[in-house]
Amino acid sequence: MKLITHNMLTSKCLKGVVTGYPLAIHATDVKINEVDFNPEFVTRIIPKLDWEVLWKAAQSIGHGEGLPQVIQPKYEEDSEFLKKAHRVLLEVEVEEGYLTCPESGRQFPITKGIPNMLLTEAEVQ
Amino acid sequence: MDELRKIERKKKRFAVRLKNSKKIICTDVPGLNIVLCNVGQATGFKKNDLLLMLEKITPEPKVLKFIAEKGDSHCFIVFNRIEEAKIFYDTYDGTLNSNSDVPLYMSFVESVPNNEVICSSRNPEGLTLIEGFITEDEETQLYQLFDWIDESNLKNRQVKHYGYEFRYGSNDVDLDKPLDEKIPQKCEIIWKRLKEYGINFSIPDQLTVNKYSPGQGIPSHVDKHSPFGDTILSLSLNSSVVMDWKHHNNKYIPVVVPSRSLLVMRGEARYDWQHGIQPRTWDPIIEVRKIDNELVKVITSETKARGTRISLTFRRTRQGPCNCCYETLCDSRVTPNLDEVASHLEDLHVHQVYEQIAGHFSSTRHKPWPKVVEFLQDIPPGSIILDLGAGNGKNILNRNDLLQIACEYSVGLLSECSTFTRACCVRADVLHVPLCDGRADAVLCVAVIHHFSTYARRRQAIATIVRLLRPGGRALVTVWAKDQSKSNYLCKDKENTESDTYKTVGVHLPVHQNRTQFKHNDVLVPWKLRKVKENKLENESSQTLLRYYHVFEEHELEELCQNQGVIVEKSFYEEGNWCVICQKI
Repeated sequence: MKLITHNMLTSKCLKGVVTGYPLAIHATDVKINEVDFNPEFVTRIIPKLDWEVLWKAAQSIGHGEGLPQVIQPKYEEDSEFLKKAHRVLLEVEVEEGYLTCPESGRQFPITKGIPNMLLTEAEVQ
Repeated sequence: MDELRKIERKKKRFAVRLKNSKKIICTDVPGLNIVLCNVGQATGFKKNDLLLMLEKITPEPKVLKFIAEKGDSHCFIVFNRIEEAKIFYDTYDGTLNSNSDVPLYMSFVESVPNNEVICSSRNPEGLTLIEGFITEDEETQLYQLFDWIDESNLKNRQVKHYGYEFRYGSNDVDLDKPLDEKIPQKCEIIWKRLKEYGINFSIPDQLTVNKYSPGQGIPSHVDKHSPFGDTILSLSLNSSVVMDWKHHNNKYIPVVVPSRSLLVMRGEARYDWQHGIQPRTWDPIIEVRKIDNELVKVITSETKARGTRISLTFRRTRQGPCNCCYETLCDSRVTPNLDEVASHLEDLHVHQVYEQIAGHFSSTRHKPWPKVVEFLQDIPPGSIILDLGAGNGKNILNRNDLLQIACEYSVGLLSECSTFTRACCVRADVLHVPLCDGRADAVLCVAVIHHFSTYARRRQAIATIVRLLRPGGRALVTVWAKDQSKSNYLCKDKENTESDTYKTVGVHLPVHQNRTQFKHNDVLVPWKLRKVKENKLENESSQTLLRYYHVFEEHELEELCQNQGVIVEKSFYEEGNWCVICQKI
């Protein structure tokens, strides 16, 4: 699971859960998988993300070093920053672990890099 | 001379009226169309009267169309050739009509009204109409047997029951109170004869006889499922009638039911269609025509008077809940646990099947669907694309300027997707997608929604797509079409002779025959599983699995998108699939 995916994940489909966001990450295995760097993509995707959630998620799994907590103006011209963002968004992979719903405590396992977000019929709204 | 001027004045006034009421323009220029201004359906003028007039001027009278609309005292004629129209006009305009002392007057018109309605010529599935099922003698005998004076107080028609009394409040019978009068012996010829037609059925034990006078009808209804068996017979005596058949997917088919015919209702016709008779003294004439090489039924504007009709409806009573596979009109299926049954069905016949066939399935699907490529070609870099029900990720594009998130239920398919594509993979159900609202620039939902087994769940799938899209974001949704006639799916020499049903989670579902036209909307489609060994498919199939599908009618998918906060931009048929592109408002 890349952190860009985590930035979009919610457990709000659970019965009784209102926002279910962000999910807490408990990682037991984190890998770095190199991916081709596309500065235009990183530049354009950043405004669509919840940066604070990304920053906290990166910190929580120990890959937040050097990542600014707040987006700077004219970040698109800062190639060092874009590279760092690229790494955190696309190259850091949580291979094993679980996600936890902030409201209900329900855990969602991550296996072989894929979070299992399936719910039972009884758990849904 | 006075008379002539009078007619000219009348014609002018008529022309104004016709223009106002029907937007039809009278003209002095001779053409194929003529309006007879002062005779029509309301004055008792019939096609035969016209033919008699024509006979006098041409040896083989032929008109293309005669249009006498209900309640009008004018009518229209469309000729084959202008010469004939001219001769007719010159011969009869201003002359005395045989049954009236007012001269007939007429005018050429630029057009004629087209109130014809075109319907499918195919009767509802499961409906068999056997014309001339009984002889005229038998008809007379039966008619005498059942022609009685009013015995009940039903408003619309006279009615009598045999075997068991049909209770109109609950639309069933009380099995504890059989009637003394059983189905008359005279009716037994029907069973014997029907067997000769090769139709198997249980001998009915309940008969309702209705006597309809002209003007009487019966509201649209389905015979309640649970109290009666899977075959219902209806024998018509003395007069023909047009029976309207309506399906809950908005299909409408009028069926001419002649006297002495037997209607056999089974399957879809028995369980999934409603039928009724309009309360009127006449019926439209229905013609079968060939339009664009396809046979269609045309409800013309011509009419035919109804006579008194006696109908004999034979049913076989039964006990317990109905076990049909047509949920919409079923009285046994309206349970609060519908969702549970649906989810159980999908678990067994969608999720578990895909899990088992993942390897084989994946080996048959590699390239993105051209329509997906087309849909995404103008999407700008940095866009967020969600592929719901992504399967093995065949529709994930090899682009590094997009965020593509694949949601898929099957672990097997998802692991293929994660290994071979760039997508970010999440294991999730399309009804409960664990992603934030309003973030997606585009959503793909290709060949997924046909796996949801209730209308509510299919609506919910669309609602989920809309929730995930940002305002202005667009989705491509495709589903399998019931009509496969314009795709490569059909095998030419194969005809669907399916008769198998399979009972699963308490419902009977028809098992589809692969490579044939679909006969039902809700079906189990067999997948002959072949194992993948050393990256090669084995030739022999080891096992057949049944996948559940709800195959879509035309417009059904658009209807599903209605009132959901999206505008359907485009709707099309592609290779056996109905597709829509819609945009979130």
